[in-house]
Amino acid sequence: MEANGIENLTNPNQEREFIRRHHKHELVDNQCSSTLVKHINAPVHIVWSLVRRFDQPQKYKPFISRCVVKGNMEIGTVREVDVKSGLPATRSTERLELLDDNEHILSIRIVGGDHRLKNYSSIISLHPETIEGRIGTLVIESFVVDVPEGNTKDETCYFVEALIKCNLKSLADISERLAVQDTTESRV
Amino acid sequence: MTEIYRTISTGRGDDVSPTKCRERRRRRIEMRRQAAVFGEPSSSRNRDRTDMEVYSSFDVPLRKQARRSEIGGLPADIGGFLAPPAASSCQKSEAPVWKGEETEDEPLYGIVSVMGRSRKMEDSVTVKPNLCKPEVNRQRPVHFFAVYDGHGGSQVSTLCSTTMHTFVKEELEQNLEEEEEGSENDVVERKWRGVMKRSFKRMDEMATSTCVCGTSVPLCNCDPREAAISGSTAVTAVLTHDHIIVANTGDSRAVLCRNGMAIPLSNDHKPDRPDERARIEAAGGRVLVVDGARVEGILATSRAIGDRYLKPMVAWEPEVTFMRRESGDECLVLASDGLWDVLSSQLACDIARFCLREETPSSLDLNRMAQEDDNDGEQNPSRSVLAATLLTRLALGRQSSDNISVVVIDLKNSSQ
Repeated sequence: MEANGIENLTNPNQEREFIRRHHKHELVDNQCSSTLVKHINAPVHIVWSLVRRFDQPQKYKPFISRCVVKGNMEIGTVREVDVKSGLPATRSTERLELLDDNEHILSIRIVGGDHRLKNYSSIISLHPETIEGRIGTLVIESFVVDVPEGNTKDETCYFVEALIKCNLKSLADISERLAVQDTTESRV
Repeated sequence: MTEIYRTISTGRGDDVSPTKCRERRRRRIEMRRQAAVFGEPSSSRNRDRTDMEVYSSFDVPLRKQARRSEIGGLPADIGGFLAPPAASSCQKSEAPVWKGEETEDEPLYGIVSVMGRSRKMEDSVTVKPNLCKPEVNRQRPVHFFAVYDGHGGSQVSTLCSTTMHTFVKEELEQNLEEEEEGSENDVVERKWRGVMKRSFKRMDEMATSTCVCGTSVPLCNCDPREAAISGSTAVTAVLTHDHIIVANTGDSRAVLCRNGMAIPLSNDHKPDRPDERARIEAAGGRVLVVDGARVEGILATSRAIGDRYLKPMVAWEPEVTFMRRESGDECLVLASDGLWDVLSSQLACDIARFCLREETPSSLDLNRMAQEDDNDGEQNPSRSVLAATLLTRLALGRQSSDNISVVVIDLKNSSQ
């Protein structure tokens, strides 16, 4: 939680309730799971406009270079993701499990690729909140994944969390810039 | 040594096959054409003859060097050259541009920079002879060389190749009032270290605030969704009459060949280097083994220019080496890890100095054409290019899987 005195409309109890309601994962042996939280100074509709693009994750994910989707944006659609150079993978195949425009929830499952994240499933949900008197968004992302051979559960969780932290940091940067642009344009 | 010995055995087996000999000859022709050092031979007859001469001429000095098994590996490894056609079409080389009156004031160097077996070309090379004549060098010229190896896209390495040397020049031309404490050499060294560190810092700040379109973010009109860019290594060398100053961030490398010995002028920034691991952990990060040691399990180099989302674990700060030049200095090699992953520093040094030796047979095609083209009989620009070309071919032959960029600077004939 934020320790720097920022006043949030959501409190720890509300976050736990959001997690309990939207972030259930069925764990089996040799899997690890974790949940990350990010506060973004931008309204939900702006953040969601980036998150919901199952067909263009590179809009905010810094490690993705390209994405190809075959078919319509519906449950079961699969995307082929190209990963940028220098990273421990070159591609990933991912299936859309849930896209809820009312509750602002997106869920995907990784079904292939040359990386080590087997049986990976993630859920990202957005929730309106107030940050220092201004409209903001609480982002919660959770995942479950197999622990690869040769790594520990702790290492695996740490690695996936590092990737998600980069994604959420980028999501915050871009959303906040878009929010500033929105404000500027609305004054003209 | 065992690895080299096995290579020799395998190579000699290959030498016997007529088919492979023809294929090898074709590849040598292709490689020389792509090196773009001189015009193509005018007829196929000349081409064939030249090839045989080039190949056979290696046998003569190699026999005399029988005890140097690393050199003995040359023909076998060269024969094993296996560049995929698609990669070959993306190769680019730059021959030095010689200006008659300035030739004796500029260092002799060769550059080869190829995509190799990678999916994209993200390496970049910059050479700026006579960058400026700063006070710290008593108003004599300094020469700038750099290799940048990008990852996650070519934006940062391209940005470095167009901008880093201008920062160095600006920093050199500022007359900062710094403390003059210590011997003259200490003062000069401190100033150079400050110049390089400030230049790298400015380069990193620019890389982390620049959009893919190349504009500084606050001024940019692009869709901000495309703003995320990645990073690049940077190994730079400044050459003066008295010193070599190397500044390195990342896992490209600079090696000095002195009296036949490879002297490292940089130390690769890898996450599993004990002091780098300690720095990363102190910054709140971790080193995980995911297809090799990686910062946060993500990046295989522990320092880079850019990489906004991995800071402060992936640091920008260069390690600087300040080396006094000596008469035994033969050459300086700067290269990306596409070379160093498959060639040791000592082997690269041996190959480069072999190519640069004056007594290398003049029957070598490149050298003969150089002598014909060059008014000054003492100048042989092709030797440095030949060295860079051979190093690149050897790396490709040893299955390097990355971009390869090599700069070889002839220090024997670079008095300035």
